[in-house]
Amino acid sequence: MTSILSLPLSLLGGFGRGCMGFARHVGQISLLTVRIVSSVLQGGVSLKMIFAQAYEQGIGSLPLVLVTAVLSGIVTSQQGGYQFSSSIPLYVLGSVVTSSVVLELGPVMTAFVLIGRVGARITAELGTMAVSEQVDALISLGRDPVPYLAAPRVIAGMIVTPILVGVANAVGVLTGLVSARATMGLGPEGFLYGARLYWHSWDLFYSLAKAFVFGFTIPVISVHMGLITHGGAEGVGRNTTTSVVFMIITVLVVDATFPPLFLN
Amino acid sequence: MDPEVTIQYQNVHKRFDTPVLSGVDLSVMRGETVSILGTSGTGKSVLLKTTIGLVTPDRGDVKIDGASVYHSTRIQVRDVRRTVRYVFQYAALFDSLNIYDNVAMGLDPEEIRTLNPRVMLDRIANSLENVNLEPRKVLSKLPAELSGGMRKRVGLARAIVGEPRIILYDEPVTGLDPVNAATVNRLIISIAERTKVTSIVVTHDVEGSLEMSHRVALLDNGTLRFVGTPDEFRRSEDPLVMAFADRRAAAKAALGLIEHEADDDDDAESAHAVSIGVRA
Repeated sequence: MTSILSLPLSLLGGFGRGCMGFARHVGQISLLTVRIVSSVLQGGVSLKMIFAQAYEQGIGSLPLVLVTAVLSGIVTSQQGGYQFSSSIPLYVLGSVVTSSVVLELGPVMTAFVLIGRVGARITAELGTMAVSEQVDALISLGRDPVPYLAAPRVIAGMIVTPILVGVANAVGVLTGLVSARATMGLGPEGFLYGARLYWHSWDLFYSLAKAFVFGFTIPVISVHMGLITHGGAEGVGRNTTTSVVFMIITVLVVDATFPPLFLN
Repeated sequence: MDPEVTIQYQNVHKRFDTPVLSGVDLSVMRGETVSILGTSGTGKSVLLKTTIGLVTPDRGDVKIDGASVYHSTRIQVRDVRRTVRYVFQYAALFDSLNIYDNVAMGLDPEEIRTLNPRVMLDRIANSLENVNLEPRKVLSKLPAELSGGMRKRVGLARAIVGEPRIILYDEPVTGLDPVNAATVNRLIISIAERTKVTSIVVTHDVEGSLEMSHRVALLDNGTLRFVGTPDEFRRSEDPLVMAFADRRAAAKAALGLIEHEADDDDDAESAHAVSIGVRA
């Protein structure tokens, strides 16, 4: 009897612990957000640090964002062209590529690049600072880690991500256009005619709003996971992995909540 | 409260998975140097960290100049912290900053904003010279480019540049060779003599602590087992104190006790303590 119950009970226990852990993280991230906002309002965040982080996050990520944008544009164009080859007019491809890139692929692929390149780096960097007592040293020297370490990274993410998504959108649509011409025979006039036919200006706002939210969630999760790291090098590795998983899930959940909220 | 009491630990309790501190009471007088000894894992560093709120006690309080670190406003705690500097076990220098910027972090942020850059450079250079480092050679270097002993000395320079009234040393000579360890111990003595700073030194270096301290405290099982002058420490009949003081004949009496403790804590310190007994 005991052995029959032990598995569901242990699963239930694991689920309960998981829920408690999730709730604890959400609470801590909420408090971190309040402290970031408060430090910004008090003018305690250095502009120099924000620019340094923005440069690192933005310029450093640009090549990879461009590569993913180019590939997204080509793949969407090729796949759409294949599906429209019979009854649907080919110029509709312009709309499909533009909508797919602007509404979905541009923001989400850029977010994934930032998770891998920026988020993981922030968690590992701050985690190493935490386990080597550099964060404690900062506190002992009368500096608050939130305006020094957290706020510049989060503000930089919120500035840089919409810009990167804007660039990714433009490059994705452009490479979709080039690809459609090269392989489907759809000229730029036809492509742009299709793109304009179903274009809503709201779509661009939607895309950039998504980017803004991703630009906040990625650094705030990675900063939080970095600052709570303990347990030496193993702890840094563990928290970096957990942080990447949290960021991917959060980006996908946010991505899924946007259409019912803003596209109806 | 005695006006000469600078730091006061009152019934400090802290528990992680197991109790670490179980009611520590200690008063440190102005200008005094107190060393805290104890085997690894007895909570010496935890006690030191409660002094400035890096670890929050479960019960009890820590007061600096009569002001509670845990029952004061944020502004008061910030003001208290400004008078205290903490020297970390592995220096905890900021990897991304060069030595100039690392030492400058020891200055008060408001002071940095108002200080003339030339004056600031002089102060940073002076503090580096005070720890036997040549400013010209190290100022532009990153911490990773320095040896362990030099990093520890930069940590000391960062602690003294702001002219604090209290310095807390967390195992300042751990990991150093005997020559560098002696240098750091001499620096702690000279800083205390020159600046009349109140110091607490958590250390495993018994000889060094007896040399530099006005009083020595021995932490064991979460409480202070012994507090007294270096002479009282040397003469103590407490078996654990005798084992720490490396009094071979007397330590024979402590052998059973030390071996028993080594069962619970198989780290290097206990192994060393056992070896003291075996040699005896």
